[in-house]
Parts: sequence; C-alpha cells; structure tokens
Amino acid sequence: MNGQPRAQSTVLRRAVLFGIVLLVQFAIIEAGLRLYSKSEGSATFQSLFIDDPAVGHRLRPGAEIRYNTDEFTTDIAVNAQGVRDDDPIGPKAPTERRILVLGDSLVLSVQVPFAQTFCENLERRLNAKGGDTRWRVINGGVQGYGPVQDWLFFDKIGAAFQPDVVLIVAFVGNDAIEAYDTAAALKAGRAVETEQPAIGRLREVVRASVTLQSVRLRWSQLKARFATGTPERPLTSYLANPPPEVAAGLELTRDAFGRIVTRAAGIGAKTGIVLFPARFQTDDPDFGRLAEIVRQFGDTLERNAASDRFRQALTPLGVPLIDLQPALAAEPDRIELFFQRNVHLTPRGHDVVGGVLFGFLETSGLTAPVR
Amino acid sequence: MVFTSLDFVLFFAVVYAVYRVLPHRPQNWFLLAASYYFYGSWDWRFLSLLLGSTVVDFFVGRYLGRETAQGKRRAALVLSLIFNLGMLGFFKYFEFFEESLAALGARVGWHFDPLTLDVLLPIGISFYTFMTISYVIDVYRREIQPTSHLLDFALFVAYFPHLVAGPILRASLLLPQIERPRTISALQMRSGAWLIAWGCFQKMFVADNLAPLVDSVFGPSATPGGADILVAAWAFAFQIYGDFAGYSNIARGVSRLMGIELNVNFLFPYFVRSPQAFWRHWHISLSTWLRDYLYIPLGGNRGGAWKTNRNLMITMALGGLWHGAAWTFVLWGLYQGAALVAARAISGWSDAAGLRIREGLSASRIALGVLMFQVTCFGWLIFRAESFGQLARFARLLLTDLRPTMATVNSLFIPFLMVVVPLMVVHVYQARRESEEAPLQLPLLTRYALYGAVFWCVLLWGSFEGAQFIYFQF
Repeated sequence: MNGQPRAQSTVLRRAVLFGIVLLVQFAIIEAGLRLYSKSEGSATFQSLFIDDPAVGHRLRPGAEIRYNTDEFTTDIAVNAQGVRDDDPIGPKAPTERRILVLGDSLVLSVQVPFAQTFCENLERRLNAKGGDTRWRVINGGVQGYGPVQDWLFFDKIGAAFQPDVVLIVAFVGNDAIEAYDTAAALKAGRAVETEQPAIGRLREVVRASVTLQSVRLRWSQLKARFATGTPERPLTSYLANPPPEVAAGLELTRDAFGRIVTRAAGIGAKTGIVLFPARFQTDDPDFGRLAEIVRQFGDTLERNAASDRFRQALTPLGVPLIDLQPALAAEPDRIELFFQRNVHLTPRGHDVVGGVLFGFLETSGLTAPVR
Repeated sequence: MVFTSLDFVLFFAVVYAVYRVLPHRPQNWFLLAASYYFYGSWDWRFLSLLLGSTVVDFFVGRYLGRETAQGKRRAALVLSLIFNLGMLGFFKYFEFFEESLAALGARVGWHFDPLTLDVLLPIGISFYTFMTISYVIDVYRREIQPTSHLLDFALFVAYFPHLVAGPILRASLLLPQIERPRTISALQMRSGAWLIAWGCFQKMFVADNLAPLVDSVFGPSATPGGADILVAAWAFAFQIYGDFAGYSNIARGVSRLMGIELNVNFLFPYFVRSPQAFWRHWHISLSTWLRDYLYIPLGGNRGGAWKTNRNLMITMALGGLWHGAAWTFVLWGLYQGAALVAARAISGWSDAAGLRIREGLSASRIALGVLMFQVTCFGWLIFRAESFGQLARFARLLLTDLRPTMATVNSLFIPFLMVVVPLMVVHVYQARRESEEAPLQLPLLTRYALYGAVFWCVLLWGSFEGAQFIYFQF
C-alpha cells in the first residue's frame, strides 16, 4: 500500500545524492581551475581589476601579475593611475604631448609585453621623428569596456591625464551590443546596477567563480541563440539582417563617443576614432568557419558589415576616423596578425597597427601642433 | 538540425511529448511526419528523393513478394538497383567522375568542358539508399516478407534517429518494431538517457575539442613536423570516432526512449588487434552491409586466396568511395583492403608456424593493439588528407622527422591527452564488459560520479557551436 511514497522517497534520496555529487565535483573543478586555469577567469588574471563605483570596474592601481597561457606568458604592470604602464603619469612637461588611447582588451593587450603593444610602438615611431616634442602614448584600454565605459573612464579618470589627442578604439565586433547593454549607465553618467539586489548578488557569486563564469558563457550562448539566431551575440553586428539592438547600440555608441569628443575639446584635445576589426575579418578560414555556423542558424554573416555600420554611424561626429580592416587584410602574413585562440593581436599585429596609426595621425592632422 | 543543437532538443521534446500520448498507428503517422520535418529542415527539396526512393522500393518489394517467375523478379531487382544507385551516383558522384574524366582527358590531349550542374549532395542519401537496397535484396532473397503498409515502410526509411547518418538498419530489425505496438520500460528510459549523454560527451567534448588540433596541422597554412602529424593523426582517429560513435549513440538513445532499438554501430574499435576485428567493431552497420551485399555476392572467400583478396580489395575500395567523392577515400579503401589482405596472409603464416598470442593482458597483445592503432591512424591520415600532395608530404615527414618540439607537446600532445584520457578511462571499463551501457551497472555512487563528470565535461568544455557531424557529408 505504501509503495508509491517509498518510491518517491527513493527518487528524492537519489536526487539529493546526485546533487551532492555535483556539488563536490563543482568544488573540485573550481579549486583545480583556480590553481591551474590559464583563462581570464583565473584568480591571477582577475586580480588585475577592482570595482569602481563611477566606471564599474577598472585596472587595479599598482597591480603586477604574470599571466601565463598556452600561447603566451606576459608580465603585466599597472601604474599608480590605473593604466597599463611601467611609469606613473605626472604633470605634463612643456615639451611633452600626450595621446590617450581608449578601448577594451584589444588596447590593453595583455597578450604581449608592454613594449610590444601598439601604443608603445606608436610612441616610438612618433619620438623617432626627432624634434623637441616628446610624445607619450597612454594605454587607457581596459578588459571588457564598451563605448559607455570608454566615456565614463575618460570623463572620470582619463581627462586628468591631460591628453592632447584622444584615440577611441572601437571594436566593431561587440561595441554596439555592449553600448546597448549599458545604455542606463550612459544616461546616468555613472555605472548603475540595473537589476534586482538578488540578481546582483547572484552576479557577484558568478563573478567570483571560475566555473560559474563558464556556465554563464553557456547561458549567454543559449540566450543569444533564442534572441538573435546566432551562436554568439556579438556576431549579430555582422548579420545581413541585424536585430534592432544593433542599430540602437550604434546610436548609443555615437552618443558616448560624441561626449568624449566634446569633453576632449573642452580640455584642448583633438579626437580620432579607430575602427578595430574582429579576427575573422582578416582571416579567411576563420570567416569560413563562422559563416558556416551562422548559415546553419539560418542567417548570413557579412565579413565587413559591422565595420561599415560603425563608419556610417560615427562619420557624423566629424572627427578623423580610420578603419584598420583594409590595412590588416592587405598584409601578406595576415593569418599571423592575431593569436589563434584568444583572437587578440600578436606582436606582429601590434607592429602593423602601430605603423598604420602613425600614418593616420600624420595624415589626419591630429598630431599637428595646436595654434 | 544536428542532434547536439538546441533546435533538436526542442524538436525532440515536442515530438516525444506527443508520441507518448498517441496509440500505435497514430504514433507511426506522427513519427513519419516528424521525420519528414526533420529531414526537410536541412533542405525540403530533397524530400522528393526520399519519397521517390520510398515509393519505388515499397512497390518493388511488394512485386518481389508475390511474383514467382525468377526472370521477372531479377528484372525488378535490377530496376530497383539502377534507380537507387543511379540516384546515389548522380547526386554524390556525378561531378567527381566528370571532373576526373576531364582531368584524365586533359592528360591525353582531349579537352572538353564539364557540365556545370552544381549538384548538391542530399544529406543522408548514402545511408537511406543502402537501407532501401538491403530491403529489396532481402525480399528478393526471400529472407524477409515485404511489408504491405506503405506507412510502415516510409517510416522504416525516414525514421529520424537513423536518417542522416545511420546506423544503416536492416528491415528485419526495424520493420517489426514499427509494425508492432511498442512498450517503454524504466530501464529503457534510463539506458536511453545514458546513451544520449554519452553520445553528447563523445561528440561535444571529445570530437569537437580535437577538431581544432587536427585542423591546425591539416590546414592550408600549417607547416607541421613529423611528430605534429603523428599526434594529429591520433587526434583525428579519436575525433572521427567521437563524432560518429557519438552520433550513433545519441541516435540509439533517442530511439530507445521511443521504444525502438537500433543496432550497435561501434564497439571499441581502437582496442582491436587486427584489421578484420577493426571492421567488426567500426561502423558495424556499413561493414556488415558491404559483407552481405557486396563481398559475399562477389564470391567472398569461396574461390581461393587470390579471389578472396580480389573481393576484399573491390569491397573496401567501393566502401572507401561510399565515404565521399574523392580519390583519397578510394585510396583509403584500398589501404584498408590491403591491410585485410596482409592480415590474412600473416594470420595464415602464424597459424602454420604455430604462433599464438597468449590470452589475457600480455605484453604481446598490448604491442599488437598499439601496432594496429598505428596502422589504423595511417589510414586516417589518408582519409583526412586534403590532397595526394599533402599526403605524400606528411608521409615523408613521418618517416624522416619524428622529433617533437615544445609546440608539439604543449599545443598538440597535452591537449590531446586531456580530451582522450577521460574517454579512455570509461572505455576501458566498458570494453571489458563489451557494452557502452556497462556503467549502468556500476555502484550507485560511482555511477552518479560518472554522470556528474560527463555533465561537467560537456557543460564546461564541450563545444556548443552546433558543429556538423563529419559523417553527414557521406
């Protein structure tokens, strides 16, 4: 007579046991990943960052780590002002001119030694011209930044570096989507929590766990599949028929960059915009692979659609703009410009970008003396 | 709609929910409609080929069942074969043979412009065509009775778990299960779920993680050394195994949840010690098909050593061509045929000399297994090569430059081990019990630990890009 309750009890006991097994395994995986992981979720890499009430997050002033992956090992130092640099940023000397480069991980460039970043490469090229002026190029890139954080960082922190030129590096692969996701911060003029406190706490737990960050990535892919028809949300900027959030994100990007232009002009600095392509825009096999995946999802991936959309959206700002894609794609060894696994620039890629930006600064008049 | 995609998860959830509440005959109608939807999701135009093949072979089967005049029966069989092989030949091999002919003609000074038809390869055509051919031949041989229900036959051909990448099922196995009402036990549910989970692990964790390693060596811009090529060949061996065995296991698991058994298609093929055994454990449904409908009709091993060897070479060359319209596949088939011929010869000599490998876990058995794995891997090198030029270059490097570099170890060998070792740990246990379902017999806690490990591996390190299965192209 009591067979059914007993069966239910057995099922419940087994479910609890299985849950415990999963939890134990989770703990083992978490510990293993914290100790040995080479991903950006590792404790070592995460120690580079601190929360910032105004911007959201930024580089931890004074942080020093050795970041080791299968593809590279890099020593990363953050100066007292919170940018990747070996030297502090003090008052500007009369003969010194400064270029502040804003952007995300593509600017920060943790994959290469500091001396090999395109910012340093550009600085060397500028100073090699000779003359009395000493150029300093400040790497203001921070992992995970989008256009809105670029604006907040410049407004709250970067403007104090007294730049003469501000170069905004827009990663066309995901900046529109990131701007769309952070619209509230642009409106508020500071980082805002847009979610319920419980969600916020859950987010903190997820951020604190290497394992759960991977699970979150899966969840994002799943949501992207439902919402956009692509396996990864950033790819929507390249679709033949992008969802409305791409156009909205481009408008927000123009708004954020416009604020930087205005603020920079207010402190006597000129602004230029650099459109940075995704690796697949220069790498044929990579493009073929992604195009096939998107095709399976029933849409079409257009190689330079995002670059074209950004150029169209940002041209009205009336500041010099360069798209790096044609120059990178024209390189005979373009397959070697990006790392294969983490899709950031190799030392060779940084060298090419440094050269292209040097030419851009020269021809656009951005480095011409202010009268 | 690949098995490891979200689309399929949603599709199967709906199909299964409806399927469970329907009685038997409506179940069959519903499964047929679902199967046509599944197939049409790739390209609805190819449904006409599926329908054509179904209708033609259903009526040929009925005719063969009632006709007694041997001449007429033979004519009907030939007509069916011409239809099926003609369809397969046109869609799969037309451009290949035309281009090959044009290339050959150009060598002797005879130039012609090949027709440009841009023939698309209908997905799964090699699999369902072989199923309908085996049905017609079995009826012709009077080994089975033809079915009198077009619905049941259509479902036999189009049943979605096997439709696009096998297993290549025999009517004697599947048709009775379609014709009879089905029951689904708790054990079937449990083992079906395990097969699906295990198949996802094989595909998403093993195959999809090895694919970039293999591509990095076989890619057009790669300049690998011999050691890189060796590790890439090992990696490809497990990639193609994980891909295809994973698909087969998901197919079996999905089907078992609906109360329909599909045959085992892989049985630990890298634990064997001879080419004969390899083909008894690798793509079993194809190798038994080739044996029953090609090798034995050619004469099998009935005409002495020379004829047996000839039959083996023909069978394996055609088996290679079945895998794809490229000469590298033909060469792979010939290599497999040569391996079978050589193994027969060696077996004959060792028998005559009274040599015996000791049973149990002996050093000689392990050495033979390792050797056989290398023989298999060289075959996979032929199979995976982009061209004969690349194959020749890789073979030369394998013979002349086997020194591993740090990159070989760090970028290829260690990632290879990290993927393959978890698979092999489970496989050793399964192989000793000769069943992939053996883990279901483990003690509760061990079993749950295994389920959990599979769950975490797929969730954290599996590929979620919905990559196509390699065997879809065949």
